[in-house]
Amino acid sequence: MSTVKEAYKEIENIIGSEYISDKDFMKAAYSRNVDPAFPDRWADMIVRPETTEQVSEIVKIANKFKIPMVPRGGGADLVGGSVTKGGILIDLTRMNKIIEINEDDFYCEVECGITWGNLVSELHQKGLTTGVLGPGSGFSATIGGGLSNSTAGFGSTKYGVVPDICLGVEVVLPNPQGTIIRTGAAANKYANPFCRYGVSPDFTGLFMGDVGTMGIKTKAFLKLFPKTPYKAQRYYMLNKNDYNKVVDLLYKLRREVRDGLHDVLVVPLALLQILSMMVENKPAKRPRLKGPVFSILVEAMDQGILDLHLKKVSEIMENDTRSFEYQEMDLDAPLSKDWKFNLKYAYNYFNKYISIVPPKISCTTCHKIPISEIPKAAQLSNEFDIQNKGEFPSQSISLFATVIFLMPNGHCVIVGGFNADNIDEQREISMKMWHKKLRNQVRYGGVHYWLGEAISQSIVEADAYTPEFVQFFKDMKKAVDPNFLLSPNKFHMYSYNDDITKYIIKNEE
Amino acid sequence: MQIIRSLWQGKLELSKDMAEVIYQCPTCNACAEACAYEMDNALMYEALRAELIDAGCGLEAHIPMNKAMVELLNPYERDNKQKNEWISKLDFEIKDAYSEKADVLFFVGCTAALTPEIQTVAINTAKILKKLNVDFAVHGEKEVCCGSVALRTGNWEAFNSVALKNYELFKKSGVKTIITSCAGCYRTLKVNYADFLEDLNIKVLHTVEFIRNFIEQNDIEMKQFGINVTYHDPCHTGRNAGDTPLYEEPRELLRKIANLVEMKTIKENSKCCGAGGGVKKGFPDLALEIAKSRIREAEATGAEYIVSICPFCYRNLSDAIKALNSDIKMADLTGLINKALG
Repeated sequence: MSTVKEAYKEIENIIGSEYISDKDFMKAAYSRNVDPAFPDRWADMIVRPETTEQVSEIVKIANKFKIPMVPRGGGADLVGGSVTKGGILIDLTRMNKIIEINEDDFYCEVECGITWGNLVSELHQKGLTTGVLGPGSGFSATIGGGLSNSTAGFGSTKYGVVPDICLGVEVVLPNPQGTIIRTGAAANKYANPFCRYGVSPDFTGLFMGDVGTMGIKTKAFLKLFPKTPYKAQRYYMLNKNDYNKVVDLLYKLRREVRDGLHDVLVVPLALLQILSMMVENKPAKRPRLKGPVFSILVEAMDQGILDLHLKKVSEIMENDTRSFEYQEMDLDAPLSKDWKFNLKYAYNYFNKYISIVPPKISCTTCHKIPISEIPKAAQLSNEFDIQNKGEFPSQSISLFATVIFLMPNGHCVIVGGFNADNIDEQREISMKMWHKKLRNQVRYGGVHYWLGEAISQSIVEADAYTPEFVQFFKDMKKAVDPNFLLSPNKFHMYSYNDDITKYIIKNEE
Repeated sequence: MQIIRSLWQGKLELSKDMAEVIYQCPTCNACAEACAYEMDNALMYEALRAELIDAGCGLEAHIPMNKAMVELLNPYERDNKQKNEWISKLDFEIKDAYSEKADVLFFVGCTAALTPEIQTVAINTAKILKKLNVDFAVHGEKEVCCGSVALRTGNWEAFNSVALKNYELFKKSGVKTIITSCAGCYRTLKVNYADFLEDLNIKVLHTVEFIRNFIEQNDIEMKQFGINVTYHDPCHTGRNAGDTPLYEEPRELLRKIANLVEMKTIKENSKCCGAGGGVKKGFPDLALEIAKSRIREAEATGAEYIVSICPFCYRNLSDAIKALNSDIKMADLTGLINKALG
């Protein structure tokens, strides 16, 4: 009997035959995430544990037979995160329970396979929120996936990325013992998981944004906030297409409106022009599109305070912008005064900026830069696209940004990338160009967040890490994963003996 | 979707094992609603199921049901003459659409006509129409299944067979308006029969839609019972009803006769009852579990009744109420309206 078959039998004894499969159609169902840039990859088996202890037993068996394993949440990432060619794919979505919502001390304990949508809708009924509500795919994306990808999403301008609300995690380490640990305050066996720092070094951070390479997160302890009852949306169009002015206004908003800002998005002119062409219900008069549109969502605990925020926003924007309504280009779009929060808005508003013309291969290059560097990054990005014009897949549209999303303190997420036809012939060209564009961003100082396979490898290829850092990374991974079984391929790591400097692409600057 | 893609790419073979998984979906299309892209996932599932059937891999449990639909004209494997039973329980005569002309054809549907505990849906609908002085007729034992369950389970041959018979019946009746109290029949006639009903210039309305319009136009009063009720949106009249989902019509009527207390998930986000897509027949335990989840949601509202406009939802939710030993009561909206009209 092959080792895979033996492992299958042993895992089946742990989780039951209903929750393990090596059938081809099940492997096909799990062969990709929302990432058509990648080829299909079939695991050897799909397993669906229900408890941390079961995950631990699976890890022990994987170690016994030296079979690689990859954890998977909602499978909603775009960068090749949670698929594996061969090995054990661990689907964690049965671990979807809310263990505790502590309404008095503002924290919760949940299993990592619960979706953002399910958790947030439970919290909202109790007048609570996680602040950042997870990624745009939050109806299917899980808490564990959000933590592994350091995700930004609705609420990120005020509340930051998902790890910023994390108070600790329960993790199964991928070692032969399948060790279960808890981090944050929960590392103190006498304490409730109410805060992150103080018991030990911040080992929670080891598992944030790790793309599932350092451990299998089974539970998460998250900060909660009282839900803010008053919210309002306003749109302003810049009078000219000028990123220097975007920078000025983002600074002013950050300095003068501060915590009143829930989300600030800037939609570049190029994207507005594309979106206006795609509108079904067009107005008779062509829209006057002169510059980027600021979408500003403010929130407050009191209507009077909300009005003050809106007044301040209006004062900041009045000299350089005009009030804008999406109805100017789309008669079906709601007016800003009619805007109301709902989960569908939180989880769907972002998606149209990610792949503007589906179904396409979507090579997303979401990365963070300081506000001050927006104009320079835009210029470098455009120069890159021009210089490499002949290397993009045919019919591809490449954009520096489809949206610029203000984050806490003084930085922002540049959501951008390029697309290509979803056909096999374009997949290799797209992947090559994707990595090249990502390397370019890494070299101008861009910091990505959902790393998956494509981005984590591109960081290595760009020679971003010092040899000392690479050694530190390997040492840390070896401490938790001595047999190198968890999520191989990420960061171009294929074994501890492999020299990842051979993947560095030189002479591109 | 990846399974469909892999089949299309020739990487997978259709199989009975695959069918066991594919048929566990009630095709409620909630996933399509949650997705940012406009894809009709239920339609793709139906197409995949048709492929499974063509390859001889359909679900065994569905075979007698679809066979009966073709041979007996109903999927319940019953003599179609039993569709007259509910009519005999009325204390007034109704027109036979086969031989008499009427303004409106009441398409009863197999579930309401042939399930004794749900015949009240047909009876109450007829009583309402009578009270409103609507000139209507039914086909009784000649009524042919709309074919909904065949379509949802991928048996297009069975669907085509009954659809053609219905076309002939509708044509012969000369009717211009069809109403039905069954959400499944409503969707099938409205969406899947759309092309040929347009040929015949026939309009399809759910009974609640018809009553709402009628009451509004004729300024008819209804009794307010003052009871707390919650409303379950059938997938067939909601997410799967094409461009004209019936979200407001039943609610408007309910607010006139009761206090409507909404559940956590409603309208396009409504949880499914779990019966559709052949799941009740193929996987009754799964259907019951899904229904239990919906009943728990209804219980949380504190309502006395959970009301719907679909005999099949009625049946599955009633089963869940029984299984949970719940205090909440199941009601079809036609029953409440009939009472409210005095």
